Amino acid sequence: MTWHLFWQGLALGVLGGGLYALFASGLTLYFGVMRVVMVAHPAFLFLAAYATYFVHETTGLDPLLTVLITAPAFFVLGIGVQRLVVARLSVENLGMMSVLLTFALAVLIEGGLGVVATGDHRTIRVDYATRAWRPFDIALPVDRVIGLGLAAATFLAVFAVLRYTRFGAALRATIQHPEAAALVGVDTERVRGLGFGLGLSTAAVGGAVLSIIDPFFPAGHWDYIGKLMAIIVVGGLGSVGGAAIAAVLLGALEGVVQVWQGATWAALLFYGFLFATLLIRPHGFFGGRLAARY
Amino acid sequence: MRQHHGTVLRRLLASGMALGLLVTAAACGDDEEDPTAGGGGDEGGEASGDNPIRIGVSLPLTGEFSEPGTGIREGYETWQEVTNNAGGLLGREVELVFRDDASDPNRVVSDYESLITQEEVDLVFGPFSTRLVIPAAEVAEEYDMVFVEPAGAAPEVFEQGFQYLFYAAPAVASDHYDYLAEWIEALPDDERPQAAAYAVLDDPFAQGTAYGLKDALEELGIETVADEVYPPGTTNFTTVAATIAEADADIVVGGTQYEDGVGLVRAFQELGYQPDLAAFSTAPTLPEFADAVGDAVEGVVAPVGWSLDADLGQNAEFVEAHNERHGEDPDEDAANGFTVGEVMAAAVEEVGCAEQGAECQGQLRDWIRENEVDTVVGPLSWDEAGRPQQAHMVLQWQDGEIHIVLPEDSDVQSADIVYPKPEW
Repeated sequence: MTWHLFWQGLALGVLGGGLYALFASGLTLYFGVMRVVMVAHPAFLFLAAYATYFVHETTGLDPLLTVLITAPAFFVLGIGVQRLVVARLSVENLGMMSVLLTFALAVLIEGGLGVVATGDHRTIRVDYATRAWRPFDIALPVDRVIGLGLAAATFLAVFAVLRYTRFGAALRATIQHPEAAALVGVDTERVRGLGFGLGLSTAAVGGAVLSIIDPFFPAGHWDYIGKLMAIIVVGGLGSVGGAAIAAVLLGALEGVVQVWQGATWAALLFYGFLFATLLIRPHGFFGGRLAARY
Repeated sequence: MRQHHGTVLRRLLASGMALGLLVTAAACGDDEEDPTAGGGGDEGGEASGDNPIRIGVSLPLTGEFSEPGTGIREGYETWQEVTNNAGGLLGREVELVFRDDASDPNRVVSDYESLITQEEVDLVFGPFSTRLVIPAAEVAEEYDMVFVEPAGAAPEVFEQGFQYLFYAAPAVASDHYDYLAEWIEALPDDERPQAAAYAVLDDPFAQGTAYGLKDALEELGIETVADEVYPPGTTNFTTVAATIAEADADIVVGGTQYEDGVGLVRAFQELGYQPDLAAFSTAPTLPEFADAVGDAVEGVVAPVGWSLDADLGQNAEFVEAHNERHGEDPDEDAANGFTVGEVMAAAVEEVGCAEQGAECQGQLRDWIRENEVDTVVGPLSWDEAGRPQQAHMVLQWQDGEIHIVLPEDSDVQSADIVYPKPEW
């Protein structure tokens, strides 16, 4: 392996990690902040990719700008899903039941997309998706740099909402102690719904980026769920910052291992880390106080 | 039917065979309720005879392989329509009985078991993909059923010792690039490429095609400078492509399906890698490939077993009937399905029987083994293990259209190969 290839692999890995961070940001929110294991998050990413596709086809809007339409729509959808479905799960076994429930949601979305949009692969082609910047002779694909940028923006937004707004405070209070939160006047049901909506709107942003980077088809979401789950476990369940760090670090490592040892080892890497984390430090390597508590 | 259904249920309940109940109930229900059960009787044409020839098929109509699975189903349906309109087989109408195996190797086994034993179909046609063809063929062997299949081209399909299996396409995976290798061999020394790089999906078919060409090129003295294998489910192709781009070979060969082909081409563009020859399996044969990669499609070559415009057998009739039945041009999967029907039909007409049992099926098998069949992919013949003995054509994208460029000086060639290819 030459040094050039090493740096190229590292750069592409970090950019790929940015994408993982973007895709995983909603997961951290439901998982850590609401203790809902959301297996359907990648399915919503693909639903968002299709939404982007159809909005782009009908209005001619740039795929990334369609977020202005899809993100609010997904916010409302999230509130609906939480209110109508997730809220009906009993609190005692929320973790386990939410896996089953959202697994069913994922299958429903996949099947629905198959019926409406057929199983064909779709692609959105934009000029900038095959260009690259080349500082120091290292190619930095424009679409992936945009993905990293959007990931950073999404994380900062989620972090800021949780940390600095009254809604964020109410959300955190609801998680820490629902009864106490209700006693001081927090409408916990409403807050959970809004939290879910926030999570799904990150899926809308992720789906828009996904749609310009790779071809997508209804069953494509299964390829992401394992990696994304590994990332939020390694990052520390519920730690927004931890998941971002884990995503970029694992992405970088994946890039280097891939150019050095090949893609098969790179694919194993995520599960190796997942395994090691559960064995050595079950509440994750970065943050994860919440996870330790539950 | 309802009445009969109920009686069966009661009898089984009485004897307490819960498992048998489930199986029988499923099988009885299929006759009238299963939406995937094929419709021969009501839509057939002029064929007469009160008992139709029933043909059992399991296909991946949902799940991972749903796209090619549906394509093959459409090809089978077109064949059924064409055959029935021409008076059926042996004067009997043909009727297809479909099952959906959901791309699951376990389901495909139980599907063929139930098609043969419960539905008592007279003949079976094969499913899609090596991973499903092998388990399905094992069932067919067990019941002495001739197993003509549209999509299991990987080497291991023919290494299982199957007696009844025939692959209904021109060539097995490792021979797909034969014409391309011959063409490279014929190049003058100073134009011949020196080095080749391979990016290959960890899949028997994709590896079969790419490594078939690799073996041929290495024999010609063309050095292998990179050989990257990636697992199914890979989502990031830029890093796979980075290793290939670093090697900067004259030829890049992709053992690809679809999304990986698109991902690799896009990544090569981003990385600024410009090979003289780019060959990918499967992806470039699909029209949506050009939509996905845009102008980068120019000059890409791929092996292809069937061509829309080729004047072979009843190809023109097939294309017309397919348009009438399904409202669109057939793809290669549909053509492979149609070819299966043609092979089986030729054997049935010659031998004069279509029923279960080693006697009839054995005669059908022997006939296929010893004869050449005219099909929409050209005349086909097979070796002892069921490998077809012909060769794939090679296509190249030129001016936004698919052209057959190899074999040279043949009836199917529609343009000369462009080499080196334009930059992408």
